[in-house]
Amino acid sequence: MSDNTKSDAQKEGCVGCGCGGGNGSSGSLPPVAAQDARRGFMFKFGAGLLGIGGVLTALPIVGYIVGPARSRYRNEWVDLGSTTLFPSGQTRFATFLNPIRQPTDGDSAKTACWVRCVEAGKFQVFAINCAHLGCPVRWFEQSKLFMCPCHGGVYYQDGSRAAGPPPRGLFEYKWKVEGGKLLIDAGRLPGLEESV
Amino acid sequence: MNREAILKLLKQPVDWIEERTGVIAFSAPLLFHHVPRSAKWWYVFGSATMMFFTIQIVTGVCLGTMYAPSAANAWESLRYIDEEVPLGWMLRALHGWSSSAMVVMMAIHMLQVFMHGSFKYPRELNWITGVFLLLTVLALAFTGQVMRWDQDAYWGLGIGAAIVDRVPIFGDQMRALMLGGPIIGGETLNRFFALHVFILPGAAIALVGVHMTLIIKNGISEMPKPGEIVVPSTYRKGFEERMHKNGVPFFPDAAQRDMVFCGVCLILLVFLAAYYGPFGPGGMPDPTLINTNPRPDYPFMWIFGAVSLLPPASETAIMLIAPVVGIAILVAVPFLSNSGERAPSRRPGMMLLAVFVVMAIAALTWEGITSPWSPVMNGWSALPTPAQFVKGRTPLQMQGAVVFQYAQCRNCHELGGFGGKRGPALDEIATRMSPDQIVRQVQQGGGNMPAFGKNLNSAQMTAIVSFLSTLRPANEADSTIPGAQLPLPINSPVTLNEPLTGREVREEISAGVSSR
Amino acid sequence: MILLQTKTLFSCLITLALVACDRMPGKPTKETPVVIGSPSWTQSTFNTNCRGCHSQGAEGAAIPLIDAGYWKVASDAQVIQVIQQGQGVLMPSYLDSNGGPMSAEEIAALVKGMRSLWGAGSSGGQGGISGTVVAGNASAGAQVFAAACASCHATRGSSGSVTDPMYLKLISNQGLWSAIVYGRSSLGSPAWNEPMPNRPSGLTPTEVADVVSWIAQSRPTSPADEKLTYQPKNKNASDAK
Repeated sequence: MSDNTKSDAQKEGCVGCGCGGGNGSSGSLPPVAAQDARRGFMFKFGAGLLGIGGVLTALPIVGYIVGPARSRYRNEWVDLGSTTLFPSGQTRFATFLNPIRQPTDGDSAKTACWVRCVEAGKFQVFAINCAHLGCPVRWFEQSKLFMCPCHGGVYYQDGSRAAGPPPRGLFEYKWKVEGGKLLIDAGRLPGLEESV
Repeated sequence: MNREAILKLLKQPVDWIEERTGVIAFSAPLLFHHVPRSAKWWYVFGSATMMFFTIQIVTGVCLGTMYAPSAANAWESLRYIDEEVPLGWMLRALHGWSSSAMVVMMAIHMLQVFMHGSFKYPRELNWITGVFLLLTVLALAFTGQVMRWDQDAYWGLGIGAAIVDRVPIFGDQMRALMLGGPIIGGETLNRFFALHVFILPGAAIALVGVHMTLIIKNGISEMPKPGEIVVPSTYRKGFEERMHKNGVPFFPDAAQRDMVFCGVCLILLVFLAAYYGPFGPGGMPDPTLINTNPRPDYPFMWIFGAVSLLPPASETAIMLIAPVVGIAILVAVPFLSNSGERAPSRRPGMMLLAVFVVMAIAALTWEGITSPWSPVMNGWSALPTPAQFVKGRTPLQMQGAVVFQYAQCRNCHELGGFGGKRGPALDEIATRMSPDQIVRQVQQGGGNMPAFGKNLNSAQMTAIVSFLSTLRPANEADSTIPGAQLPLPINSPVTLNEPLTGREVREEISAGVSSR
Repeated sequence: MILLQTKTLFSCLITLALVACDRMPGKPTKETPVVIGSPSWTQSTFNTNCRGCHSQGAEGAAIPLIDAGYWKVASDAQVIQVIQQGQGVLMPSYLDSNGGPMSAEEIAALVKGMRSLWGAGSSGGQGGISGTVVAGNASAGAQVFAAACASCHATRGSSGSVTDPMYLKLISNQGLWSAIVYGRSSLGSPAWNEPMPNRPSGLTPTEVADVVSWIAQSRPTSPADEKLTYQPKNKNASDAK
């Protein structure tokens, strides 16, 4: 209430009318009522304009920041090399450049996976990431186990969970053989909500 | 010129500025507000936190002049700062150690406020802004770890991403938002860089501003005394009267203690930085280099420990709900109890709670550091079978010891104090399990052990069991004497006989029978 | 003049501070690139990959490699071959094209490095006996075993025996050969030419070959990867911990 009184007092002196020092010098003030009406309109008009402008400005900013959450990225078939690199009955390490990559990624665009050749022409390609919290699992040929260094997740050679905290088996990539080469459908970092 | 003239001369520009800015009127209460006489050494930790925060800003800006916030170059640029830039390593060391110190000081400050009940009326918002400051500082510590862009940073992000990914429905989108895309890469580092140098420090500065304003408005709480209870309707009046009568100005009465403590802290900081140097960077952030053992920085070690001890069934729920509940409880603290006794001796339950939380975090941190659940990844090929388990063994038992290494048992089991701690140490396994039971356990697994049945042939199984059956204390009857009766449980072709003497062998040979 | 002095003093102080601070123990040392084949590389590679089984003295269950006697007999080519291709059932291949962790060059460098660390200057093949197994006469071997070995080593089916079929399924003839040739002095087993209780003169290379042939005769012919089918004899007893 006291604020209102004060601003009324200011209005008399044309301090708060918003028309600036230069224009407020003469005695040609509009009546107080008209002034109030104009102020009401100006206020609404201003708030509306500011709102529209603000939304227009915010749209690209928000869009820019949440952009990555939209699925504008697509997995691609990646060549892991000749199938002869993966002898039958064995599990081998393979690396590839992630098809989803940006110019500034550097080494982090490199990706690794484990390729198990079940028998000639039949493969299982496992993501390197543990299904627990994503640490890189290592293959042990002798005990035919994958072990994770972080929290001790262990998997059998077919990727199924053997021990430890993982809630599921290893993530598997889709694969196909074309022209004697093993291709996998790779890109996104594997996660629980999806099969790779 | 006499003294008065000089003062007058000096006063003129000061007055000129003061008249136009009001800076003295504004800052005088910051310096000279009255604090309780009883505010002694307990009250220095907030100031120390503040000082370390200032150091973080200064050293952080300095590092910003050299650091390359790009996934392709960040690691190289840190190596360059460490090795080539004069005193670059020292700046990194100061930034790293000061970060740890800030977290520690903040924790102690918070604990002190909690134990003294200082969060009660009218200082509820002091506490709440403090909680948000704590979260901001922890976020700064985590994003700072990402700035190192080494293998720990890369896989640490992977862990963060995997946790976010577990959020129902929106997990995928949230993960993409956090990583700046579907993989950990260039955009990820730059996102965390923006957080670490713009958003979080900005938020921290704003929160510190509010926190300080509230301190001026509400005053520093007195040392709690049993029986002096907080009654919201009368507290402020009484407090202001007491301050007016008995309070002392913050500067210099209380500030001198802060100065002493902060001075000691600074000297310690420089010593730690100069002696122990900067943190990392560790191995280069190439995700195809998988011979890595990712560990978080110390402020997060207890979380790392906690997530590995969670039961798998309820893991996701706990990982996602516990932080929210934890923060909610922290925020709610002053609302749950904003009046009454403040003295620790009158609040035994609260003290017990504080002790419990501190001990839980300490224990989880210790678990995280020792990581007994993690296999020793090269245990099988790096840790030799101790001599006491090799001596006096038969050929088969010796081969069993080799199979023990070969099958990576050592990665999870200790022998002679070395090896993984995931499974039990097997030094005395023969006193706990019969060969029958050992075979069953090895074959079928169970109790968090994988089944080895498919991967060991009968000879390997026989050998490993005969070796494990010798693992018992020296004073117990052992079966290591060549040819001694060993209860072989397996339907093996082996028949247990007394060893042949030389004469018998000769007879057998002359009879034209091979020993088989 | 005073300005100049101050300036000099100031820059001296700054230089001093820089020099002093930049020599603190916390300063990270420049990472020296790993030289494959260097003694430190050899030692650390050995420690991570080999030591679990091949250690020194009484430590480790397989043949110790930190042992001058070994390097006197074994040739580089033989050791390289074993590391590259594996040996018998329990020595895995370490060659990258077989799924192992090392390239052929690294394996060669490792062998060279180990010889210079522990070989006491010998270049291999100097022990008076071949490092690789030589075929012998089994029936002659039987006589040698009875005369020279049987006083300590039991035979015929007992679990402590060197003719235990399970043992022989795990150890190759080369393994038997190496066990006899190198012995384990720290475990009380003499090398082939050292005094034995019933044979103070040790064995001759021919006798070693004969004994290996004879012992190998006891190896079962069924495939080594035969799977085990095991049923607990007494379920209750097994469950009762």
